[in-house]
Amino acid sequence: MKTLKYLSLIALSLFLATSCMNDHDEPNFNELPYNPPYGNNEIGDANTTISELKDKFASIISANGAKEVTEDIIIQGVVVANDETGNVYKQFVINDPTGAIVVGVNDVGLYATMAKGQKVRIACKGLYVGGYGKMAQVGGLYNGSIGRMNKTVFPEHVRLISTPSLTQECMRPEVIDDSYFTDANMAKLAKYVRLENVEITEADGTELWAPEELAYNNVVERHIKMGKTNLVLRMSTYADFANEPLPDGKLNINGVLTRYNNYWQFVISSTSDIEQVKEEE
Amino acid sequence: MVKISRFAALLLLCFVGTTGSGIQAQEMSASIGQEKDGLVKQQPARMLYADTLLVKEANEMSNVITISDDNNESYTFSEGQLGEDEDYAGTTAMISSNDDYFLSEVGYLFSPMRFRIRAYESMYNNVYANGVLLNDAERGQFSYGMIGGLNDATRNKEGATAFEHNSFSFSPIGGSSNINMRASQYAAGHKASLVGCNRNYLARAMYTYSTGLMQNGWAFTGSASYRWANEGVIEGTFYNSFAYFLAAEKKINDSHSISIATWGSPTERAQQGAATEEAYWLAGSHYYNPNWGYQNGEKRNARVVNSYEPSLLLTWDFQINDKAKLTTSLFGKYSMYSTTALGWNGNAADPRPNYYQNLPSAAYDVWDLEYTPTEDELADYMTRYNYWKESKANRQLNWDYMYFANQQANALGGECLYYVERRHNDQLALNLSSVLNIDYNRKNRGTFGINLGTTKGMHYKTMADLLGADRYTDIDKFSVGDFGPNSDYVQNDVDNPNRQIGEDDTFGYDYDIYVNKMNLFYQHQTEFRGGFLYFGANIEGSTMERYGHMRNGRAQEYSKGSSGTAKFLGGGAKFGVIGRANANTTITFGIGFENRAPIAYNSFIAPRMRNDFVQGLENENIFSNEISFKSVMGPVTAKVSGYFTLFTNCTEQSAFYNDQQSQFTYLTMTDVKKAHYGLEASVVYNVTSALSFNAVASVGSAEYWKNANGFLISENEKVVMNDKVYMDGVKVDGTPLTALSLGVDYNIKGWYLSANVNYYDNIYIDASKYARLAGVVGAPVIDATTGEERLNIPTQYKGRGDFMVDASIGKSINLRGGKRLNINLSLNNILNNQKMITGGYEQNRDDSYSDGSERTYKFSKNPFLYYANAFNAYLNIGLRF
Repeated sequence: MKTLKYLSLIALSLFLATSCMNDHDEPNFNELPYNPPYGNNEIGDANTTISELKDKFASIISANGAKEVTEDIIIQGVVVANDETGNVYKQFVINDPTGAIVVGVNDVGLYATMAKGQKVRIACKGLYVGGYGKMAQVGGLYNGSIGRMNKTVFPEHVRLISTPSLTQECMRPEVIDDSYFTDANMAKLAKYVRLENVEITEADGTELWAPEELAYNNVVERHIKMGKTNLVLRMSTYADFANEPLPDGKLNINGVLTRYNNYWQFVISSTSDIEQVKEEE
Repeated sequence: MVKISRFAALLLLCFVGTTGSGIQAQEMSASIGQEKDGLVKQQPARMLYADTLLVKEANEMSNVITISDDNNESYTFSEGQLGEDEDYAGTTAMISSNDDYFLSEVGYLFSPMRFRIRAYESMYNNVYANGVLLNDAERGQFSYGMIGGLNDATRNKEGATAFEHNSFSFSPIGGSSNINMRASQYAAGHKASLVGCNRNYLARAMYTYSTGLMQNGWAFTGSASYRWANEGVIEGTFYNSFAYFLAAEKKINDSHSISIATWGSPTERAQQGAATEEAYWLAGSHYYNPNWGYQNGEKRNARVVNSYEPSLLLTWDFQINDKAKLTTSLFGKYSMYSTTALGWNGNAADPRPNYYQNLPSAAYDVWDLEYTPTEDELADYMTRYNYWKESKANRQLNWDYMYFANQQANALGGECLYYVERRHNDQLALNLSSVLNIDYNRKNRGTFGINLGTTKGMHYKTMADLLGADRYTDIDKFSVGDFGPNSDYVQNDVDNPNRQIGEDDTFGYDYDIYVNKMNLFYQHQTEFRGGFLYFGANIEGSTMERYGHMRNGRAQEYSKGSSGTAKFLGGGAKFGVIGRANANTTITFGIGFENRAPIAYNSFIAPRMRNDFVQGLENENIFSNEISFKSVMGPVTAKVSGYFTLFTNCTEQSAFYNDQQSQFTYLTMTDVKKAHYGLEASVVYNVTSALSFNAVASVGSAEYWKNANGFLISENEKVVMNDKVYMDGVKVDGTPLTALSLGVDYNIKGWYLSANVNYYDNIYIDASKYARLAGVVGAPVIDATTGEERLNIPTQYKGRGDFMVDASIGKSINLRGGKRLNINLSLNNILNNQKMITGGYEQNRDDSYSDGSERTYKFSKNPFLYYANAFNAYLNIGLRF
């Protein structure tokens, strides 16, 4: 009888399932008040528009220089282009009603926090503002020129304001046509814009976005004809859609208008920025 | 240098080979019911079965080693299959022989350094229970997790080296052991023990009860244990393991007895990960563990092993007559084994804290001492350095960040960025064995055996945790850039394109491996004047097949369904002689040859997606011989052995993330030739019956003897290449090739004391086969000093040689009523040497980009290393009642 008792004790222990040790509560960051676990939640209200920032550093920018921001400048904008598909790399673009600016961070996968439609503030003090190909950029110093800031520096200078949304005001690009390509406008780039009823010159139904054999430094230049301007559409061979066919026919495209010195350029961050224009008979 | 040592090894063997003829005493005394719990050091020439279990236990508790040759960029792929797990890798061979002080000692003695006898892989060591093989047929190894926590229940063991006669197996070169799980063979009574230690687990409780063989012919034995650590000695690890064992035996009559045993050890434990020396330096510890991070302020580990292998063993013992005995056993198990790992999707950043881009040395080339960094580079370096040093959280995973990223994506209806996957390696196995032992006459005995086994291995991964994400699509992120997101090629299962994966859903890969084996053997021992002669032979047939459950987009024509069946026929023969040279000295000589099928694990190319066998897959050949001299001169017993083992025609596979191509890549080597050779020695000097001194030495080498043929294939099949692999001279890794020990044992009035000083050297890490591919090595360069042309083949990393000191103290107290209390305290690494590596691996990445330009970070200078445990203690209190 005793035997049975001892053995049944052991057998009983079989059914005493040991509890799982690896259970953890799921954090929820969507609850209000919005309290993201990334960035610097101490950053106060914006005091400068993107356009004002560019004006302040206009001479540095046009000289392709870089200068440390020593004043308490805080800008606010919404992310309109990022590295989600790999066409934009180690950069993202924020937009406010006065314009857009490129922010360079030496990190990949920035879209994890800098999702499209994410409203952010950037405290510029301690960062650098400068010109790359004469276009304004916020970042760090690289060999005396404007470059990307260190990835561990970035979170100290950014504050995420609210859950990302694609429907907010700053996500609506300005529709432009070829009359936009003036020197005065070029000086204020970058700009988040919409091109309507345009065609990609190289698109023929089979030609790919950015095949490696056409690339120079991993970049393939495609073109959009707009009036007299043959706008360069810059594509990276690292983009997820690099080996997909270029879309044929009339298109509406949202993207960022940029410059490289005196050349106009256009960058899209994803094929979801493109919409096929329905042909009406 | 290599040539000379080879020559010396051959010479040694030739010399000893010609003088050999002799004997080793064959005392197979059973260890049944031996009460040795914890009393590690009882008598110098003590029984070793108890030691083999201690070997196991020591291994179980030493570092959670997760050696892998897979420094994978993305955890998307299974390392579980790739040799990273402690249950498989690095376990000390459990050879035991009854009168061999060396073999009985080294397993336990050198276990903190994960010493493997003769540097053999564990697949060359067989573990049986009641005569039936327990080794995993796919990888050839015994999984210690199967009997984890069942020390009492698996204590009774019989061991045999390759050239000894034994009653249960045709031993492979690494020897074999046979666990006796018959209920009647456990000492009657209760036994309870408690352990406290600072290792993988902190506490263990164990209880065992056996009736012994009762009047009615029945015997019952049961054992249960629990091992626990909310945080083990390595930060961020935990241990949660329960174990049970139940056995019954009925002795029907003097001829027949039937027994049944069932056991299992459901275990959940978190792992330690390797890091580079730079990361250890930044973290200020060689025990830095990059696998964990904070979630809601609590520590969470990304690498958690869940294992449970419920097993059943049926045995029929038939004493045919007083000269013949037939033992038949059927063993079945359903093993469930999984490891979790972080995955990142799309273009999300690598979340691992020790990812090379996060390290200061990625700021500028710190290895080029001539180079003066620019101000920006120095600033960048310092920013990275300070980030690492600033807080512990910065050096660990950031779970909150990963949840946040996923929740951001949810807000836009986007794809998951970070997740935890669970890689399953399940197995259903059925083995049958029947062994007939015959004593022909007083001088001759023979053993016939047949073993049949069938195994189905199930390999797949499931979504363990989406970390709050709403959407995960089953495509291969690495192929997206090459083929576009809308191509069939990116689908992991073309028949279910763009499948949405929820938690617990299978995704990525899903395939089965079938292995069938049949083995027939006979061995014979004959006694002649002053000695024994032994010979044995076996013949083995095996088949293997892969069956895919997914039609992989990159291998649409050859991923789903059957690979067809490959068949292998092999066999071996052995001969040994043990003779007496003079009154004091016996000489043993053994020689053997084996032609053996490759293991299924190495036999398929890119098995997660393809149904293809390795090209030119053939049996491997193993030639082995050894000779030993044993002398007893009064109080001194000395033994010295020389061994030489040659492996030819072997197949080996490694898998890794190839940064150059941004692709997961497999590299299979065929025509591998390796030699293991060396000397083993032991001396025991019994000064008095209470005091003895001992010395043990294992000095040898294990190395590749020629370059291998390599076949490289990436998962998207864009890179397929046949190339030479410069393996000649590369050493076998993960074990000290030199291990020496000096010890003293003292016992008085029920107290047992022992202390050892051990020295280890020639510890190598796993050489990257990729870095040794002819195409990666490139054209010969002109040596700056000699002006001669040479190939730029990487030098294999070698750990430093150093000392370790261990000691133990124990007492056995007899209580009233026949009860006995045992207390034992073991102290390991008393000098707290934290500078000795037990192994590691070189990174499978290039120092240059595909266009030939140099990278800033030098992968070749940054191997991943594992360090032997710091000072640790193990207290065991056992009560028998």
